[in-house]
Amino acid sequence: MHLQIKKQGRAGLIAIVTALVAGLAATTLTSCSSSSDQASEVTELTIYSGRSEEFIAPFFAQWEAESGIKLNIRYGDSAELAAQILEEGSNSPADLFLSQDAGSLGAVAMAELFTSLPEGVASDIPAEYIDSDRRWVGITGRARVFAYNPNSLKVLPTSITDLTQSVYKGKLGIAPTNASFQAFVTALIENKGETFAQKWLEDLKANDVKIYPKNGAIVEAIDKNEISIGLVNHYYTWEISEALGRPINAKNGFFAPGDLGNLINVSGAGVLASSKKYAASQDLINFLTSTSTQAEFVTKTHEYSLISSAAAPEDLPQLLEIGAPSIDLDVLKNIKATQDLLVKVGLL
Amino acid sequence: MPLKTADRASAAPLHIVKGRGSSLSALNAAVGVVLAITLIPFIYIAFRAFEKPLPEILDLLLRAKTLQVLATTTALLLIVVAVNIFIGTLMAAGLHFIRLPKAHLFILPTILPLAIPSYVFTYTWLALIPSLSGLFAAAFILILTTMPYMLLAILVSLRRIDSSLIEVARTLGLSRFKIFIRVILPQIRSSISAGALLSGLYVLSDFGAVSLLNVETLTVSIQNMFKASYDRSAASVISILLILASVVFIAFNERLKDSDNKENISKRLMAKNIRINNPGLKTSLLFSVALYTTLAVVLPIYVLISRFIGNPNPIDFAQLFETAVSTISVAALGAFIALLMSAPLGLLLSTRAGKYSRLAERIILVGHALPGVIIGLGLVSLGSKLGPLYQSTLLLAFAYALLFLAKAVASMTSALQLVPSTLKEVAATLGKSKSKVTTSVVFPIALPSIGLGTLLVFLTAMKELPATLMLRPTGMDTLATQIWSYASINRFNDAAPYALLLVLIAAIPTFLLSAPRNPSEKVEISQ
Amino acid sequence: MRALEVSHLSVNFGERNVLSDLSFSLAPGEIASLLGPSGCGKTTLLRAIAGLLQPSAGTIRLGTQLVGLSSVVLPAHKRQTGYVPQQGALFPHLNVARNIAFGLDKKTFSKQEISEITQEMLALIGMSGYESQMPTELSGGQQTRVALARALAVKPKMILLDEPFSALDAELRNELRTDVVALLRAQGTTAILVTHDREEALVSSDKVVLMRDGKIAQMGTPEEVYESPISPSIAVSTGDALVLDAQKFSNGSISYAISPSNAGQTPSESGFVVIRPEEISIKKAGTTGVAATLIQLDYYGHDAMLVLKIANDEKLIRARISGAIDFKVGDIVSIEHQGPVRFFAKM
Repeated sequence: MHLQIKKQGRAGLIAIVTALVAGLAATTLTSCSSSSDQASEVTELTIYSGRSEEFIAPFFAQWEAESGIKLNIRYGDSAELAAQILEEGSNSPADLFLSQDAGSLGAVAMAELFTSLPEGVASDIPAEYIDSDRRWVGITGRARVFAYNPNSLKVLPTSITDLTQSVYKGKLGIAPTNASFQAFVTALIENKGETFAQKWLEDLKANDVKIYPKNGAIVEAIDKNEISIGLVNHYYTWEISEALGRPINAKNGFFAPGDLGNLINVSGAGVLASSKKYAASQDLINFLTSTSTQAEFVTKTHEYSLISSAAAPEDLPQLLEIGAPSIDLDVLKNIKATQDLLVKVGLL
Repeated sequence: MPLKTADRASAAPLHIVKGRGSSLSALNAAVGVVLAITLIPFIYIAFRAFEKPLPEILDLLLRAKTLQVLATTTALLLIVVAVNIFIGTLMAAGLHFIRLPKAHLFILPTILPLAIPSYVFTYTWLALIPSLSGLFAAAFILILTTMPYMLLAILVSLRRIDSSLIEVARTLGLSRFKIFIRVILPQIRSSISAGALLSGLYVLSDFGAVSLLNVETLTVSIQNMFKASYDRSAASVISILLILASVVFIAFNERLKDSDNKENISKRLMAKNIRINNPGLKTSLLFSVALYTTLAVVLPIYVLISRFIGNPNPIDFAQLFETAVSTISVAALGAFIALLMSAPLGLLLSTRAGKYSRLAERIILVGHALPGVIIGLGLVSLGSKLGPLYQSTLLLAFAYALLFLAKAVASMTSALQLVPSTLKEVAATLGKSKSKVTTSVVFPIALPSIGLGTLLVFLTAMKELPATLMLRPTGMDTLATQIWSYASINRFNDAAPYALLLVLIAAIPTFLLSAPRNPSEKVEISQ
Repeated sequence: MRALEVSHLSVNFGERNVLSDLSFSLAPGEIASLLGPSGCGKTTLLRAIAGLLQPSAGTIRLGTQLVGLSSVVLPAHKRQTGYVPQQGALFPHLNVARNIAFGLDKKTFSKQEISEITQEMLALIGMSGYESQMPTELSGGQQTRVALARALAVKPKMILLDEPFSALDAELRNELRTDVVALLRAQGTTAILVTHDREEALVSSDKVVLMRDGKIAQMGTPEEVYESPISPSIAVSTGDALVLDAQKFSNGSISYAISPSNAGQTPSESGFVVIRPEEISIKKAGTTGVAATLIQLDYYGHDAMLVLKIANDEKLIRARISGAIDFKVGDIVSIEHQGPVRFFAKM
């Protein structure tokens, strides 16, 4: 028995040392060869995807079949993947970063790790959903809405300021830790100033707002009639309904046009500067922003297509009819001030 | 009879060697290498933190928010550890001393919560009580999660108590309560401290439970720093605070530990065990085991099963199987690397613990308090420069070894300490060199206990999430990442089979951990 | 040639001096006992010889080989000294055969040879057929036998036994001791036996080394140390002894409570005499000797211990007699000392 241990120990050690040496050797080799690799045929792409596998994988599979290029996909949380890319720097194995929200894209763009996309890429996407330096492009739209239980909520709000009224006392749910809620508050601060935002949040708190860990939990609570209204992204009503396998007692509602409660955030993608596979990566972005793929996003993931002429998700108004507030999405990465404010009013 | 031994000796030159020199310096060198590896996350933190100018660092550390988070963390830590010590000691003593048929079958369900990750725990409890939130809810969940560490540590040391001491105390007229306080408690102090250490460090590094329950501990703060502002420097500054908190906790914990002579304990005979047959005590023990098991095992599994049954979507069994295989293999590789890494320090600590080895042990313990995200990012920072090794199974396994090295070192040390020194001396007089004694006597005898320690690392590695997400090979899934992947889009029904499988797989090593340990008892009898 | 030569050996544990300036030697085949109270350093001496600890000063030679020195030391595994600790310390993970073969190097011995030696050793200790038993399945005596076989199997230069029989009950202990000593003698093995049992030391060895406070108090054959102790306290440590006040007279005669003569001369020196209880004979009252009252009688079968009181003397006299006993408690008898008079002057 003891001999075995010794052998295993030795073998393990040898394996580790060999691997380390091989790894170092390979690093030097790849760094020499990759620069000349550009012209040769691309057979694989590595994607860091902050979008959930469940929703995006079929689209990737379709592109793989069409292009003949294999995709290595790493799924994770958008913010953590962004942190990982920042950490990897120029050594990142990723060619393309797909994020759930504009904030994570902005962080990578700020670190100058994205390459600028040529004009022809994602040509159907309106400029307002593309970074000003074309370092990333929006792929789908995600509208902030209020979800409500049509059986119990009779008076629908027209503005976020309505929510502080006594009609909604103890009936409203929010998820202050959630990134999209924080993006909305960020937009609120940018647009109306910190004093207004603070007052609104304090009034909300005074109105006995209910706190939930996630958007999904808010919609579930509405379905169970624990609360009758909640601030969420529009697609959660489908997500929860699909998860529970039945129709639920929750509908989406929009505030009056131009109200900040109707903020549109985007999921999007950028090509990493360290990648040498720009052409293939851009091709994938073109695929994801093509009219046909966009139409599928609308029916399958119930997100908004960013193409102006595209249909809206079932039962929802057109993107242009929502009356989204005009906000530069680049500012949405400044969540720090937002968090400090949320802490200050005691919601975090 | 051939006289080869004697021939050899007379032929051999007068070979005079220093007594302990070469093997000791080899061990020290090996520990040095392990320590250097352990320092990777610390170096990363220091490097990132000091990217910020000093006034900004101080500002971050001293702002009201940070102090509030520190207070929350401390409160949570103290509640969990105190309750664990109190209930854990009573329950372990009950399980050990109260006569029950097939006693280890009662131990099994109390150890089983080890198999359930804290985030799964919290999800299932939130499914039952959606309004669960806040400090006490988090303390409740973390007590359920970490209690097995306490129970395991205490049960093992209770098995080594000399029953004649208890008999002597009884004849001296001490009541059961007084015997417990004056005879038993002093002997299990070190194990209580070990259990408190593991559960405390778990609380410090946990993210799953606290974040879902809206409790901002230092680890949640660190995570929020990434999400809020992608500020790795700020996160690193808070990590320094976390390191300081764990240093204080470890130092405080060491005061609890008795500087007892472990060898003495192991040398004692345990001819027979004393068992109490009191119906009242038996009922209260069964009640508390049942209560704990219900809260920590039955309810979560009930929720998982009902989600599993209520799942309208078909289950992809091929994927489930593939995921299980990759989870088991990478966790096993990680446990094995942890075993290799813990051996030199374990040897040093069990035979000639000095300042150097104790310092190494403490550094590894402090590292155990770091959240997986930080260790993950540290290894991303270094690993991304290693070419193909980056995001390889080997590097992920290595990350597991690094994350759970403290557990491996602790069990390795106590396993090796159990080997009586006479056996080593006899082996030496029979011509075996120090290293030969280690391989042919010490390790084989300690093997069962070392194996159990390795199982514990394996079990913990299977549940690991944050570092796995960053370091797994692109495209590879573990059971934990699948649970996360479905839970993040509210598909708890689809996550349920993965969570159930994780519990099921983990139940096997848990069963082994709770089973009575014959091999070590043999050592004690032959003494 | 000496089998073992220890000279000027000192061992310190930190500040504490455990062995100081200790010298002795053993001839090949000689069996020595280290006898002394616990804490006198006998186990330390044994461990120093085995190489299990490093001396602070002095040398240890095994045969012609220098093995122990204050600054350098030949480590235990190169000394070829067989070590049998208390209760055997068998390797719990190995069966009897593999325990015995533990020290046989596979590079030196073929499989066949190892098996032969193991069988031979098993036969020697009378345990053939126990090859595959595990240590836990053996009795205490069997464990000690296997431990001895394990030590002997490597043909050590000498065997060091550290109270190997102390955990056994009296009967098994005597039997096993006899067997072990016979075995060591048959093999011609030089051996040191550490014991705190004075009978065991006397009966087992050629040489008894009496230790006190880290020093050798007296050393010699069992007869020498029993018959000619160098002090009353040494006398007590080698066997039952009476220590009586005594006066030495200018003519050399010695007077004590039960001395044959009480010549009325001027005492020149006061001191003690040491008397072994079996040196006292008891006769019917009125015959030669000193009158005494029998106040206690402990009958052991093979012999009996009598406690007697002499008039005008507080000191009680113990006498060991064998054979038939014609006395009962309360009888007045005559007692007489019939052995060497060992006088020790008062310090």
